[in-house]
Amino acid sequence: MNDPQRTPFDRELAETLARDRAVVVPGFAERVVSAVRADRRRRLVVRWSSAAAAAAACLVAALTLSAPSEETLNRQVWELVARDESAQIADLLGAADDLRLLSPVADQPGVVDVLAPAGS
Amino acid sequence: MSQEEPTLPDDEDDKRLMALVASGDDDALRLLVHRHHARLVGYLRGEVGSQATAEELAMEVFIRLHRAAGRWRPEAKLTTFLIHIAHNLVLNEWRRRGRKPTTALEFAAEPGDHSQQSARRVAELDEAFRRAVAQLPDEQRTAILLVVQQELPYEDIAVIMGAPVSSVKTWIHRARARLRELMKDFHPDA
Repeated sequence: MNDPQRTPFDRELAETLARDRAVVVPGFAERVVSAVRADRRRRLVVRWSSAAAAAAACLVAALTLSAPSEETLNRQVWELVARDESAQIADLLGAADDLRLLSPVADQPGVVDVLAPAGS
Repeated sequence: MSQEEPTLPDDEDDKRLMALVASGDDDALRLLVHRHHARLVGYLRGEVGSQATAEELAMEVFIRLHRAAGRWRPEAKLTTFLIHIAHNLVLNEWRRRGRKPTTALEFAAEPGDHSQQSARRVAELDEAFRRAVAQLPDEQRTAILLVVQQELPYEDIAVIMGAPVSSVKTWIHRARARLRELMKDFHPDA
């Protein structure tokens, strides 16, 4: 920076800017250390929060995945059908079929209609 | 505010201190900050034109340095690494503001700032130079601050700015020409 060929302008520029080259701020190192410690604590909290969230997600996933599959449900249904309790339902359905016999048959054709020759 | 410059940092000491910082040694961090903060704040003040903002950004630089301490590889000087982080923060600051500072109003002389500031011409010239530097385009201002104020070699400036050395030289050449034009009232020879 001590180039003898520099003009007075260059020297003036260098001298002016050099006056601000280093600006010592009293107590700055202490402020930085405090800020870094706070940053360290904050990142620790964030890390633990993330770990807790991940653990919760794993728990939910485990519970969801341990629920019975469709195949298992089908098997359980067939097992229920085979049991006595399910037979009672079948009986009820059978009774319903019997009751159907008692319902009026409104739409069936009358005997006269069947026997009468068409067009007479 | 003192203008006393701490002793020049030694690269080997910086490497040793960075290793300690990576292991969580706050005393090492304190020493590292003590060694480097003055030039960092000086550079940042030249860039943003505000002492308070310069200190905030310098604080952020050291926080980021601390986070990256474990991954830092001593391929470049720590000074270069610090100013590289600082330069990126300056770019973010300008984006956040939506514009860059065009004046250096906050450079108004502070009481006791310079022991010889009673010399009116020196104060006026200082102010004029700072205003002129503040008016330069971003790359030109950064390049001229790094080469003239921080006395960094072109190669280091190229690393900091992420540009070829030829671009750095061009920016510096144009910055000087622009400053001569802006300062012609003060420097008839310029």
